Amino acid sequence: MATVTTKLYQEPKEELISGSEAIGIACALADVDVITAYPIRPYDTVMQYVSRLKADGAFDFDYIIAESEHSQFEIVKHASSVGARTFTGSSGVGWFYAFEAITVTAGLRMPVVAMVGNRALDDPGAFGVEHNDAMAVRDLGWHLYWVATAQEALDMALIAYKVAEDPRVLLPFALSCDGSFLTHSQAIVQVPSQDQVDKFLPAYNRGSLQLHPDNPITVAPQANEDWLMEIRKQTDEAMRRTPAVIKEVYAEFKEVFGRGDDSPFIEQYMCEDADVILVGMGTLAMPTRVAVRRMRETGKKVGFLRVKFFRPFPTEELQEALKGAKGIAVIDRDYSYGSPGYGGVLFHELRSTMYPLDERPVMLNFIAGLGGREVMVSDVEEMVETTQKAIDTGKIDQETTWVAVRE
Amino acid sequence: MATTAINLTARDFKGKSDPDWCPGCGDFGVLNSIQRAVAELGFRPHEIMTVSGIGCSSNLPGYINTYGMHTLHGRSLPMATGVKMANHEMNVIVVGGDGDGYGIGGNHFTHTARRNTDLTYVVMNNQIYGLTTGQISPTSSIGMATKSTPFGNVEQPINPVTSAIMNGATFVARAYSGDVRHLSGIIQQAVRHKGFSIIDVFSPCVTFNLNNTHDFFKERIKKLEDEEHNISDWKTACEKAMLFGDTIYTGVFYEGERPSLEDVEPVLKTGGPLSFRELGLGKDEAHKIITGMM
Ligand SMILES: Cc1ncc(C[n+]2csc(CCOP(=O)(O)OP(=O)(O)O)c2C)c(N)n1
Ligand code: SF4
Ligand SMILES: [Mg+2]
Repeated sequence: MATVTTKLYQEPKEELISGSEAIGIACALADVDVITAYPIRPYDTVMQYVSRLKADGAFDFDYIIAESEHSQFEIVKHASSVGARTFTGSSGVGWFYAFEAITVTAGLRMPVVAMVGNRALDDPGAFGVEHNDAMAVRDLGWHLYWVATAQEALDMALIAYKVAEDPRVLLPFALSCDGSFLTHSQAIVQVPSQDQVDKFLPAYNRGSLQLHPDNPITVAPQANEDWLMEIRKQTDEAMRRTPAVIKEVYAEFKEVFGRGDDSPFIEQYMCEDADVILVGMGTLAMPTRVAVRRMRETGKKVGFLRVKFFRPFPTEELQEALKGAKGIAVIDRDYSYGSPGYGGVLFHELRSTMYPLDERPVMLNFIAGLGGREVMVSDVEEMVETTQKAIDTGKIDQETTWVAVRE
Repeated sequence: MATTAINLTARDFKGKSDPDWCPGCGDFGVLNSIQRAVAELGFRPHEIMTVSGIGCSSNLPGYINTYGMHTLHGRSLPMATGVKMANHEMNVIVVGGDGDGYGIGGNHFTHTARRNTDLTYVVMNNQIYGLTTGQISPTSSIGMATKSTPFGNVEQPINPVTSAIMNGATFVARAYSGDVRHLSGIIQQAVRHKGFSIIDVFSPCVTFNLNNTHDFFKERIKKLEDEEHNISDWKTACEKAMLFGDTIYTGVFYEGERPSLEDVEPVLKTGGPLSFRELGLGKDEAHKIITGMM
């Protein structure tokens, strides 16, 4: 499956690029063999970028522009089974249209890396970000990572291949990228050299699981009640193994590239002595950090925690990081209709994370920024005030609040 | 055919909002042609339903004064089939793009032709994905450079006319959106035809397809009706439809006759279409429901 690697980056270089372009460059550096595409905003930005790299002769790969998202995901799944490194992705309803293929990709343990350019689901039509599209894979055996910056998009795409293709793991990896805010906004990105990437990322090797004329195996047999539970349990075991692999790979990444946070799973901002900790994902980090900084200047003990990996969910790290707080304000850019207490998905996951603790902080949920609506610094300040009030009075008037919404 | 006390004109079918298409977009000609055709056929707005998928072209139901449905990308034909099954008297005109109808919704195109459902399908074929800003579609020519194929398209395009004939459509035509009089005449024939009618309309995307422009078509188009053409001869129709060089034919390629889905569906034989069944509602109850919805 090897393709010609054109050395796009002989030397590390600083580039002014969007999140989508960063992922396109990561695909080139990772020497991806097969990419499939079908246009839908905002995923089409990656699609167009890799097309250009191909046309310029900068990156050689098999490029299949499918006639629908369903075919798009089917193609990479099969390519992955014969040992090709693959990349694909979609957004909103396009991602949903591919769902049959998306679920079998995890079921078959194919380490496909996909970008979800987060977009609100129809109806009503909207191009802006909302997290419900990507959330839909949370129970299927996909890694699910929420990216905050273009730099992180590039770095995590490289890390994604190494983790997903690890023989201890072999599970697909979804990189969730906020539509527009991340996919279209440009930022300065440190692009590593091809040599650095080659040093970090080995070739994809499925070993005895590779479908090949010399290795006749059956992929996707009918298992029924005889074997289905065992197969599901194997996937569960792989998902339980992946946190250790992620830690290992992240440490290696930091060593080779000299970049990275303390933890691959969460990012903490001014959380040490915070009474109120805001929790959110993706590009929300930006206004939230600004709000936290401003409130700190006025003496308020506030912090922000960004959940990076949604799957595997960093349960213990979160318990450790949040247990000292008096109140937690969870910002969801998604919603789960009719869920326990009527709230967002991240909120529910966090609440069950905190349940085993002896002393649990007050937890409130804020639904914000749906459909691409901007989350303002003042919105965040209000969330903190509401949470502080609940702490002071020991009373929760309303668990879930829809932020900045017209009645 | 419909009877009207007063004669309506194309202007009466103008929708409440103006198209947001780019100036010069071929779709304007298609909209005008449909408005003109239904007016000339003597229809009133409530006798027509326009159904579309997603795309620039699929925005058309918003610009025409008829019943309308703007559905999911690729799903206009099954939706329209439902409309027709529920109400045979509705004249259902399905509109959309080449990507919508021949790509992601291509399976419905095949099966609607096979069933010969009594629908009129007007495809605004600009050989590109317009709304998503210019990627290849299933009708893009080989070699065409687009945003998704800067290196040139390598895939053979589908031929909507021969595909429709082979799959069993009973009225198959091609037209050019720049010739409103011709297109509107074909739409009238298609609406009158009982069974699945499809008109593949060259409707240039002036923003993203710089190959298949208005000039490109004007130089090449020849009308079938200007020469000998037997519309019941599907073999010759296919041969002529396959030409896409110096000569590109427009006009009615094929018309045939066979039972349409509504004629053979057993459920409809016993109970009739849903819209005409007794609901068992009193006048007052019905009035309450209607006012509740207004
Ligand atoms: C399931 C799904 N995938 C992708 C899209 C994005 N999308 C919107 S319109 C369109 C294609 C439009 O092309 P065409 O049907 O030819 O219409 P045109 O805009 O050219 O008139 C696509 C891919 C979508 N809305 N839904
Ligand atoms: S992008 Fe192309 S198809 Fe869409 S409105 Fe403009 S000219 Fe028409
Ligand atoms: Mg089109």
